[in-house]
Amino acid sequence: MITLRGLTKRFGPTTAVDDLTVDIAPGRVTGFLGPNGAGKSTTMRMILGLDRPTAGRALVDGRPYRELRHPLHTVGALLDAGAIHPARPGRAHLLATARSNGIDRRRVDEVLALVGLDDRAAAKPGRTLSLGMGQRLGIAGALLGDPPVLLFDEPVNGLDPDGVRWIRQLTRSLAAQGRTVLVSSHLMSEMQQTADHLVVIGRGRLIADAPTAEVIAGGSAAASVRVRGPQPAGLAELARRLAGDGGVVEADGPHGLTVTGLTVDRVGDLAYELGVALHELTPVAASLEQAFMALTDGSVEYAAAPADSPTTHHRIEAR
Amino acid sequence: MNAQPATRTAPTAGPLAGAVAAEWTKLWSVRSTWWTLLSAVLLTAAAAGQLAIYAANDNTNDDPADDRGMVTLGSVVIGSLELTQYAVLAIGLLAVTAEFGTGTLRTTLRCTPSRGRVLLAKAAVTGAVTFGSGLLLGGVGALVAGAVLGEWGHAPLGGTVRDVLASAAYLALVGVLALGLGAVLRSAVLTVIVLIAVLMVVPLSLQEPGIAVLTRIADGFPGVAGGHFLAGDADPYPPVVGLLLLAGWAAAALAAGRVALRHRDA
Repeated sequence: MITLRGLTKRFGPTTAVDDLTVDIAPGRVTGFLGPNGAGKSTTMRMILGLDRPTAGRALVDGRPYRELRHPLHTVGALLDAGAIHPARPGRAHLLATARSNGIDRRRVDEVLALVGLDDRAAAKPGRTLSLGMGQRLGIAGALLGDPPVLLFDEPVNGLDPDGVRWIRQLTRSLAAQGRTVLVSSHLMSEMQQTADHLVVIGRGRLIADAPTAEVIAGGSAAASVRVRGPQPAGLAELARRLAGDGGVVEADGPHGLTVTGLTVDRVGDLAYELGVALHELTPVAASLEQAFMALTDGSVEYAAAPADSPTTHHRIEAR
Repeated sequence: MNAQPATRTAPTAGPLAGAVAAEWTKLWSVRSTWWTLLSAVLLTAAAAGQLAIYAANDNTNDDPADDRGMVTLGSVVIGSLELTQYAVLAIGLLAVTAEFGTGTLRTTLRCTPSRGRVLLAKAAVTGAVTFGSGLLLGGVGALVAGAVLGEWGHAPLGGTVRDVLASAAYLALVGVLALGLGAVLRSAVLTVIVLIAVLMVVPLSLQEPGIAVLTRIADGFPGVAGGHFLAGDADPYPPVVGLLLLAGWAAAALAAGRVALRHRDA
């Protein structure tokens, strides 16, 4: 469990993280989403005791990170994967990490095998590691202490499709074991496939804290119904009625419509009432990308709006 | 939701022991440590050889005024430190500045969140390794000096052992001083510049005019204090005071490094 309470970080005049209050629960993958500069990495660094909060608290299993005696047994983290000494072999890097927390050296071999780095790769000095190998090494380091809480900052960066699939399975299985797994990413499609729950921030503020499906549905402006039929006149009549019902209708050529703001049931019923023949009536689920865009557009609006009207926030949170 | 993963048994070793073991592993897993030691050995051999040649030459040239007679090997070892200390203190310096430079400090602080404990572990490893290097260099310096001086050298056992131990202690404290300064200044280059200033340039400038007050101030600087300790001077203070002054500088640098690490974002 990760607990953030009023977590705030200011760098001079810039507020990187703004009064963030959120709980990251165990047993599921929580996606930590936000555009570049939203404050994701700063938040993670504060959870790990690297950056000092300007205000508020970040607790891991109820305690500040800096108070943990053997922190790797509580929290594992993948931060900037490049953070290995250019001349130090990966294995020695892991060995030093393990020793610092009294972890048996056999565990180093275990995690190396787990992330698929063989002896040859583990003997290579840091500067010769590819981005993908660096990520695997960083994940091996995170798993060393078999911790109940895991933080991964942009874990799929630099990985090939096999690696991406591997990360997806790994994070899901870690969560299934009952661990707290927080994964930051700007790859929304990846999060859609991996995360059970999303914490979305923009400009350092919480925009959404909800199950992934709900965030996607919450971007309801983007959820739409695709309609296709053989009679242009009938479709035009249907479009007028739909607009009258509060839908937003866009013509998609003479034989198609895209309707947003109405359910697929309502569109189907209206077509039946008007006797318009349909060849297609398809609900189009909003993608996380669309929901995310809608949300973070809101965060930009919000930044310029008075502090007490986080409109986008309400749209997702009110349920 | 599945059950929480079973809690692993807590490590038996304390966090400081772990941090020391980690620093030890890190130090010896990069080649630069070995290169630093090799260069220190070569520098010591060269400096001790040069000083021994000067001493022998003073005794054998036509000018009787500069004759020094028999020279102890220990005094040559101590004389060579002026140069070789910079190779050895690189070990203390790099133990922290390399971590800033490569971003590995973030990993180190995640493993050992207590900033004081991190610095203490680094100081223990730096001190032990620089002390050991000091013994090795003392041996190398004495061997080279003995070979070059020939009949002009002598090595009373007690005195030589004392000089070599004192050199090792001096190097250990200067190494820790470099470590603390590195933690404050973060950049290796900047730290070397400040070290050269504090160990050499500033006290030399203060001593140069021969004004008593300025000379007394210079006596408080770590390099000068260490020099008095090494030479076994009775004036301006007993050797042990020189040692304590140098140790005080090292401790102050560590304390400043701890404050800097605690208050700065990593």
